[in-house]
Amino acid sequence: MKLNERSVAHYATCDSPPDKTGFLFKKGERNTAYHRRWFVLKGNMLFYFEERESREPIGVIVLEGCTVELCESAEEFAFAVKFDCAKARVYKMASDNQAGMESWVKALSRASFDYMRLVVKELERQLEEIQEAAGGDCVGAGGLQGRSKPSRRHQVSRSRSGASSSSSSSSTSSLSSSSGAPPMAVNYSAQRSIQDEVQLMSDCPKENGVAWSKPAVSLANGFAEEASSCAAWEACSDSGSNSGPGARAPPVPRRRRGASLESPVSPGTGCFSKLHDWYGKEVEEVRVQWLQSK
Amino acid sequence: MRFNEKELVSLSRQPSEMAAELGMRGPKKGDVVKKRLVKLVVNFLFYFRTDEEEPIGALLLEQCRVEREDSQSFSIAFLDEAERKYLFECDSEEQCGEWVDSIVKASYEFMRKNLIFYRTEIHRLTGKDPLEQYGISDETRFQVNNGLQLTPRDTCSL
Repeated sequence: MKLNERSVAHYATCDSPPDKTGFLFKKGERNTAYHRRWFVLKGNMLFYFEERESREPIGVIVLEGCTVELCESAEEFAFAVKFDCAKARVYKMASDNQAGMESWVKALSRASFDYMRLVVKELERQLEEIQEAAGGDCVGAGGLQGRSKPSRRHQVSRSRSGASSSSSSSSTSSLSSSSGAPPMAVNYSAQRSIQDEVQLMSDCPKENGVAWSKPAVSLANGFAEEASSCAAWEACSDSGSNSGPGARAPPVPRRRRGASLESPVSPGTGCFSKLHDWYGKEVEEVRVQWLQSK
Repeated sequence: MRFNEKELVSLSRQPSEMAAELGMRGPKKGDVVKKRLVKLVVNFLFYFRTDEEEPIGALLLEQCRVEREDSQSFSIAFLDEAERKYLFECDSEEQCGEWVDSIVKASYEFMRKNLIFYRTEIHRLTGKDPLEQYGISDETRFQVNNGLQLTPRDTCSL
């Protein structure tokens, strides 16, 4: 299978800030010796270089769907990156101290796109809650500037009831997802539109039987999209328990089947069109259940 | 550059954000438009020959630019080789818009920016850091001042 390797290698060395870097020992595939490599973690990609100064990575491990485990090994401070697919390779690595090992294990286990999406959704939900609460009480709005109000509330409720129609009427013809511009500038300039038009993960069988086909969380950074539901409000019923003491993982929103934090579950159909049909049947069942429950 | 191909192929079978048959043309001179099953999974765009199980290829969607080329087609170019464009032809203007939207939002870096925005905004409105209750407020990936990166240390502990 081809990959846009040159560009992927560029991602490794470009000036977007890495999530973690450091030396680790990596066990070879055939040669079972451990080799010291310089590792760079960016997003869900773990690059490894021969030397810290090397200009190109030797390789990359796509971390999506992996689990990270401590392992029993002759090598101290060792851990393994494992995948849930047939004949997957186990990547064994070792740090040279306990703290290093723990910090890498933590970083790698949270490196997936799915995890990031989860956290973003959670914060999105929280912000909405805060804004709704503020909208209902202009006086005691605490830190809010006097901006909340009818128009915003109106738009929030519009997005709640609307059927989902993704309109790209406000999107510009040339869109860049590069990180060239300072991130905060980009976001703040679109601040109003983000707050006003929020599309939520439409993954709620109770509200919308075909939710699965909609794009997952999109954050309207200049785009106008209407929400078709629901997962956030479902989650809201749990929000009471969020205020409990102690650290807790963010509540897991309803997920698309097969996408889990730890490892994706393949439904076992390799052929995409079969998978697509299988999805369609699922949606039908859910829709039937929903109609019957009304 | 080595990469874990088996695992990436397995990823291509996961539920996708968007999938459709589109016309696709590679970036090389002489490449022609071919019908491909194009599937967006996390920050990868996979493309298959129709009805084949294994993708022909994958594009990592980081550091790329998505542009509307005309009413029904869009292109993806990577910042390190901006003249080389992958072209995609859709069936409708609406479909094209949806794809452009989805691909722009399909990068890890895009999500990170949103997260930082939400975190900052919630903190501004409530005085509290929303990540603290989950014990992840110190994670490098969520830092607001990501530009002022921690200096890489050999055994950096979070």
